Amino acid sequence: MDINLVDFFQRNTRTIMEYTENHFTLVLSAVVISLLIWVPIGLLLTKSDKWAARIMALANTIFCIPSLSLFAIMVTIPALGLGRKSALLALVLYAMMPLIRNVYDGVKNVDRNVIEAAKGMGMSSGRIMREIQLPLGLPVIFAGFRITVVMTTGIAAIATYIGERNLGRFIQEGLVRSNTSMIIMGALIISVIAIALDTILGGIEKLVIPKGLRARR
Amino acid sequence: MIELKNVTKQYPGQPHPAVDSLTLTVPEGEICVLVGPSGCGKSTTLRMINRMIEPSAGSITINGQSVMNNDPDHLRMGIGYVIQQIGLLPHRTIAENIAIVPRLYKWPKEKIVRRVDELLVMMGLDPEKTRSKYPSQLSGGQMQRVGVARAMAVDPPIMLMDEPFGAVDPIARTHLQDEFLRLQKEIRKTIVFVTHDINEAIKMGDKIAIFGEGKLVQFGTPEEVLTNPANEFVENFIGYDRIVKKLFLYQVQEAYRPAVCRLRPEEIGNALSKMLAEKAEVAFVLNEADKPCGYLTREELEQEETARDADGLQKLAARRSKAFVQTTTPLPDALSVMLEYDAEYVGVLKNGLLEGVMSFKDIRRHVYRREGE
Amino acid sequence: MKMSWERFQIALFEKAPEAVLTHLLIVVITVALAILISVPLGVLLTRPRYRKFGVVALNILNILNAIPGMAVIALALPILGLGIKPAVVALLFQSLLPIVRNTIAGLLEVSADVKEAAAGMGMNQRQILLEVEMPLAMPIILSGIRTSTVYVVSVGTLAALIGAGGLGNMIIGGLALFMPEYLIVGAGLGAIMSIFFDRALSYLEYKITPPGVRAN
Repeated sequence: MDINLVDFFQRNTRTIMEYTENHFTLVLSAVVISLLIWVPIGLLLTKSDKWAARIMALANTIFCIPSLSLFAIMVTIPALGLGRKSALLALVLYAMMPLIRNVYDGVKNVDRNVIEAAKGMGMSSGRIMREIQLPLGLPVIFAGFRITVVMTTGIAAIATYIGERNLGRFIQEGLVRSNTSMIIMGALIISVIAIALDTILGGIEKLVIPKGLRARR
Repeated sequence: MIELKNVTKQYPGQPHPAVDSLTLTVPEGEICVLVGPSGCGKSTTLRMINRMIEPSAGSITINGQSVMNNDPDHLRMGIGYVIQQIGLLPHRTIAENIAIVPRLYKWPKEKIVRRVDELLVMMGLDPEKTRSKYPSQLSGGQMQRVGVARAMAVDPPIMLMDEPFGAVDPIARTHLQDEFLRLQKEIRKTIVFVTHDINEAIKMGDKIAIFGEGKLVQFGTPEEVLTNPANEFVENFIGYDRIVKKLFLYQVQEAYRPAVCRLRPEEIGNALSKMLAEKAEVAFVLNEADKPCGYLTREELEQEETARDADGLQKLAARRSKAFVQTTTPLPDALSVMLEYDAEYVGVLKNGLLEGVMSFKDIRRHVYRREGE
Repeated sequence: MKMSWERFQIALFEKAPEAVLTHLLIVVITVALAILISVPLGVLLTRPRYRKFGVVALNILNILNAIPGMAVIALALPILGLGIKPAVVALLFQSLLPIVRNTIAGLLEVSADVKEAAAGMGMNQRQILLEVEMPLAMPIILSGIRTSTVYVVSVGTLAALIGAGGLGNMIIGGLALFMPEYLIVGAGLGAIMSIFFDRALSYLEYKITPPGVRAN
């Protein structure tokens, strides 16, 4: 076995760049679409416990489906087929659970007494949402965003099996060709990116905690 | 008997010891209340007795045996322990909660079942209804009772109680205190009782130990402490109303006068001359069955505008038909009766018959006599 | 893509049973090992003597969990080779965190008052752990086990990439050969298995929650 990562990196710089770019356009569009859809729905669900339970059960069920399965199922839908549309839809469906749950929990878990007091002072429910529930729930909502980004980055790699040319492709081709350098390179790049995103977002997560709520000392 | 000798607890990095060279004896069968402001070391002291906290220095003995000679778990199995938060196991039923220590002692099942029911009854809970409930299904007061029952499960001679009635509302607390005192008369446990409430201490304690900053400031009976506060700290802690508090220690039977002028129905006409003859300030009007139904004072009879006919006097006396107390009535309650019926005197009853009389002056004299002792 | 009923039947009745069994085997072995390692580790990390390592251990496991499942599986090949064993080891890495984290959370959530009362009655450390802390923490621990199990079923489909077989074989085969029948059967069974485990463990979680705690 010949493992020479530096050599591999130098010879494949252009491919690596191309795959990385593809990977990120997919992740970015999936995350943006997910935020646009699931955050408003999560907020809406705080108004109805009945619907919240139903939608959350659905999201939970979708989240259980193995990613490879979900991609595969998408492909068999004629309107989607192999390629980006299937990949995007699967990723957006996965993001449903962490985003909706965290938005819902974040807003719902705000201390009842605080809301009660705000109501007592005559704040409208819209104002309470904007000025109290959203800021106080922001850390939890952001945690959902962080999970979504890191998860989507990882799962997107699997979309290589439905025709996406992204960082998962090194692993896929490495496995087919028994090229160890390729496998390790692919796995390393994507791991480093995922860990880096997780760490950076984890740092930001601490910053969005409202000042009064940060632990003292 | 629990004896603490020069017990000290020093936490590392703290400038002052939490408990500083404490010496204290709790006699057998008595309630000793440790009382003081928060952070005075009273809970620490309690928790050193069952070694929830290990003392840094000094000795603690129970009936002459050092607690340090015993394995801590074994020691605790033999001492009842009640805490304010109660700490009932939420995943166990009430019966299972009470059965914890008997189970640790490996009692046979039937004996445990019998004992649990017995304790529930003793605590005023219906075994049928309570046994298989979970703690979350009980009210605060009921949980406190279960907490006490659990501590008494194997009938330990010693109980440690840390604010045991602290988590309930004032009405339920008074209730629990009264019931516990009644129970203690029968069971005669040696009890160390921690509270921050001086009123509870006065009510519950045979002895009171007042703590301040880790030191024992005063130790004595409630009466001694109220009568002779050791210093300004104790005086302040007891509060400005310490004499009013002291009233709670006394009953009518200690302060009343047995000598009393009685007026039979036929004597009411010459009430004044009878009172003058007996040198009485007040005369009680009895009915045909010898039951008192009111009283007249000499002052009233000497006033010109007072009607002198028997009928009028009868009516005047009847205005005080409720101004009576029992010999066992606490003095503050007797005072309440006086204020409520605007009466300078109250009649003292025993078994429904007139036993004596007590005036406001008698109360004052009694309190000050004790004060001067 | 045209589907043939005949191929669908072959996929469902001839290929699927073995794939399902292999998949189940991988899941059961991995989750069993994960529980055996994680629960004691979680207990240890809440004992006063080892508590200081808790944050470090959780941070390491957190970083491990950020690594995409596909990368972990892929890395197992050059290090451990082909087959079920490497797949189990790879899956094990990431199935630890949810259980360790929930064991710690569950144990820390047991109220100090209850533990104080138990100690005050003379229960020893072992009795307090087994009779008080573990039963009260069990629902939360089980919820961690559920998360891990669903994860292993899901990423387990990728184990086919390193020759461990299972439902992933049918999916990847179906994709490679453009046989939607295999794809649907493999993916569908994977989804069903995962949802089944999720529901079954949820139910167990509910059942095991002591009634006195459930009432709240």
